[in-house]
Amino acid sequence: MFLVASLTWSSGLGPVPAAGTVGSPGITIGEIDPLTGKLAKHGQEIHEGILYAVEEANSKGGIQGRKIELISRDDQSLPDVAINQAEDLLYRYKVSGLVGGYVDSLVAPVSELAAKYHVPYVASASLQRTLTLGRNNPFFFRVAHLDGIVEPLCSFLEKVVRPASVAILYTATPGSTEFGQEVKARLIRSGIDVKVFEKFRPGSPDFSAFLLKLRADGVEALVCGGFFPDHLILVRQIREQNISLKAYVGPWGVAYPSFVEEMGAAAERLFGMCAWNQGITLPGTETASDAFAEGFRKRFGKTANTTTMHGYTSARALIAALEGDLKSGGSLKGEDVSRWLRALDILTPMERLAFDEKGDPRHYRQVVVQIQSGRLVAVHPPDRAGGHIQWPAP
Amino acid sequence: MENLTVDFMWMQLLVNSLALGSFYALIALGFALIFGVTRTFNLAHGELILLGGYISYFLFKGAGIHILWTLPPSMLALLGAALVLHAILRRVREPYELNTLVVTFGLALVLQNAMLVIFTADYRLIGHGRQFFLESLDAYVSDTQITVFLTSLLATLSVHFLMRRTFLGKALRATIQDREAARLAGIHVDHMTLIAFGTGGALIGLAGPLYAQTTYLHPFGGSEPTLLAIIVSIFAGVGRTRGLLLGGWLLGTIESATVFFLGSSWREMVSAMILIGLLLLRPEGLWSERSKPGREA
Amino acid sequence: MLWPLFVPGGDLYCRVLGWSFFFAALALAWNILALTGSISIGHTAFFGLGAYTSALMSHYTHLSPFICVILGGASGMVYGALWHFVFKPLRGARFALATLASVEIPRVIVDNWEGLTFGSLGLVGIEAFPGVQPGGMDLSPGESLKSQYYLLLFMMASYLLIHHRAVRSRWGWAMRAVREDETAAGSIGVPVHRIRFCAVTFSAALTGICGAVYSHLMGLIEPSLVFSLHLSAMPLVLSIFGGRYQIAGPVLGSLILYPLDQLFFHAWFPSAHAALYGLVIVLTLIHFPSGIGTWLQKKLT
Repeated sequence: MFLVASLTWSSGLGPVPAAGTVGSPGITIGEIDPLTGKLAKHGQEIHEGILYAVEEANSKGGIQGRKIELISRDDQSLPDVAINQAEDLLYRYKVSGLVGGYVDSLVAPVSELAAKYHVPYVASASLQRTLTLGRNNPFFFRVAHLDGIVEPLCSFLEKVVRPASVAILYTATPGSTEFGQEVKARLIRSGIDVKVFEKFRPGSPDFSAFLLKLRADGVEALVCGGFFPDHLILVRQIREQNISLKAYVGPWGVAYPSFVEEMGAAAERLFGMCAWNQGITLPGTETASDAFAEGFRKRFGKTANTTTMHGYTSARALIAALEGDLKSGGSLKGEDVSRWLRALDILTPMERLAFDEKGDPRHYRQVVVQIQSGRLVAVHPPDRAGGHIQWPAP
Repeated sequence: MENLTVDFMWMQLLVNSLALGSFYALIALGFALIFGVTRTFNLAHGELILLGGYISYFLFKGAGIHILWTLPPSMLALLGAALVLHAILRRVREPYELNTLVVTFGLALVLQNAMLVIFTADYRLIGHGRQFFLESLDAYVSDTQITVFLTSLLATLSVHFLMRRTFLGKALRATIQDREAARLAGIHVDHMTLIAFGTGGALIGLAGPLYAQTTYLHPFGGSEPTLLAIIVSIFAGVGRTRGLLLGGWLLGTIESATVFFLGSSWREMVSAMILIGLLLLRPEGLWSERSKPGREA
Repeated sequence: MLWPLFVPGGDLYCRVLGWSFFFAALALAWNILALTGSISIGHTAFFGLGAYTSALMSHYTHLSPFICVILGGASGMVYGALWHFVFKPLRGARFALATLASVEIPRVIVDNWEGLTFGSLGLVGIEAFPGVQPGGMDLSPGESLKSQYYLLLFMMASYLLIHHRAVRSRWGWAMRAVREDETAAGSIGVPVHRIRFCAVTFSAALTGICGAVYSHLMGLIEPSLVFSLHLSAMPLVLSIFGGRYQIAGPVLGSLILYPLDQLFFHAWFPSAHAALYGLVIVLTLIHFPSGIGTWLQKKLT
């Protein structure tokens, strides 16, 4: 019974049938994401975003009449698996481009493979700075980076919250550690006292002793670089222990409709961050944003969120570049598609997407949102704000 | 925040540690019973706890049933699941302990992926507690903490009573000590195995909903409770029910104190060092009332 | 085994088979300790120590990766010796629990000593293996997959040789005696402590070398990657699947399970492949309780 269920369920993950017209072969693109394991939630979200972009393009007739075929693979959050699966996609399926990727330590080896096979790779949610720092990989692109999170977060704390002291809690993963260090350095520069700076192991079931320390130190704001499940426990314990803070900010995991749904009233007035959510979109993209949100709900029966949008945006970028190459008479050679990616400048609901010479996005910047009566309301930076902050915050 | 007293800190730390420790003991109870009586090293323990949690979650969300009333259906369902596990593991041949370790590792993978398909990769959470300020303790306590503490205490005492005060318990303890000798003494070892699986399953079903209320549910979140159960049970010594509660409390206290005084990033190391130290200081545990050095794990 | 020389462009198969050699070597290293009856679930401690020692030596001193790998093995060996002396009174499940706990000590230190190890950020850009020219062939495992394939094949073959000695030689008989009854073995003159010491340090050193090789092949490591429960569980599962008392048992486990999983299960069920992997393990162990290797051997004789 289970096998049948998984067969039907995972059908969305198999090759999307390319019912193209006879004589025009399909275009294959590959995706590597953590579809199982502890990161499965976000991996599946990115997958759905990518799948939606592919189906959207196909429903408009594909690229120059050629249908796009998506082949998805799981990386299990393990580098050897990510490499094997990427090699399989590149070697057996001869994909014209790669998308996806959630964990930096897996994105890096896949990007090297992309360079070896001369196939462009657009990473969906990679942040780490060292990835594009040292070497130039002309086949690597990504739609997000860390500065787009740290900058708005810090300016929010400096200009709006203005706490006397903050606590920074982050997880023992490279992305979160880099985040914690950046935020700490910047807040100290602007004269905010970082009283507590601590790291914890993901999957920790209890934060009560840490919270006691916050209470003892009289910390006014807490920045938690943990992920979705960490916020679930941390916020619940903050409520249970009656800890009062001026602001609780979680860059990853708070600004999700599903977080609000699971936490209920306990989520009120927390601050989160996102690049997009329904109703929180780049000025000028309102129609596209609503169309995406509605179309996505119709297709998958659930609400799209910022992670889905990252997947969607990365696939959109790749598809646009493939289209550019085919339209100008190219034959989808990796070098040509990468050139098109480098020249790309499109407006998506999440960001105005253009890459710099390292493959980093030029205009990526997240917004700070507050959960108000079960809704996500953008509150910072001022040019993106959709409402006023409600105090006292958490 | 300014009127905090030192006493408050200590009391709060103690209350939190006890609640955390009771939670650990509760998670370990089913594993310890099954492992003790049947020598089954069940690596799918955490997945079974999650299963109980999911049952309770859907009763809670879907039918609006209070968490306490979801305990009996969860226990019943997990009792059934444990009997299915028993039916599978009956086919496992010697070396039994090691082979069950690997077979249940495989079963855990199957269960994780089945749960992913059925329950999706979303994180689930059962409500959250209300907090009280207990004047008598001079500390905040949540109703989840109280429930966990009482359930853990009650379950441990019941198992302890069963083992020490009943005839069945005597037979179970004899089986824990030496299967062959118990068989020769006329004890139906196979019945004991069945009873241990059934009771253990019910205890897992008891822990599941409270696990979902204390942390969260995710199809791949089973390895943490499995590890905790292994640590607490073996640490306490096989068959020593009271030891479980004591071991859980000790672990909870060590962890809380480490986080408070040294910082969250040292938690795992300090706990590990104290664990090793205690294993060495009390190598007799329970295991070894008659341990034969050199015998296989 | 030499087919990559003749098959053009078999990169994918080269890579997957190469990794299955790697995990076979890891399983063989683990089994050397298991042959004395001590089941460890903490071998990732040696793996991580080897990986970090080698990567950091290479980073700070720029020594040849080949020398760093040896040092990585040595660091595993030292920790193995420590295990031997500290865990002396522990047996069975309590030994296993102690090995599990012992992983946290190096892991947390590596995680927190940011000045030396770069902490949770991990270490990136670890130097790859340089080219070597054995008998006129040009092999550079850092760049060519074929060379990597041969390096891992060579590694597995040498581990297999050591494992063969551990099963069949006088030393192997002594290990078996220790496994079956330590007291009795001692009374007939088997140097129980020396045997146990040799087994744990050898096993640890070989696992440390695996970790070191991993760091240079991957080019990047993180504490959570090289100190992971996954790496502790994998050799145990592969060895028991293949047959613990067979010379080639652990190799068989890895050569069957790993390629099957990577080439087929992943392609068939991208988001439920692990269920199939688990099912194969369950069914195999129920039908062949002593592992595939033992069953094959019976079939052949």
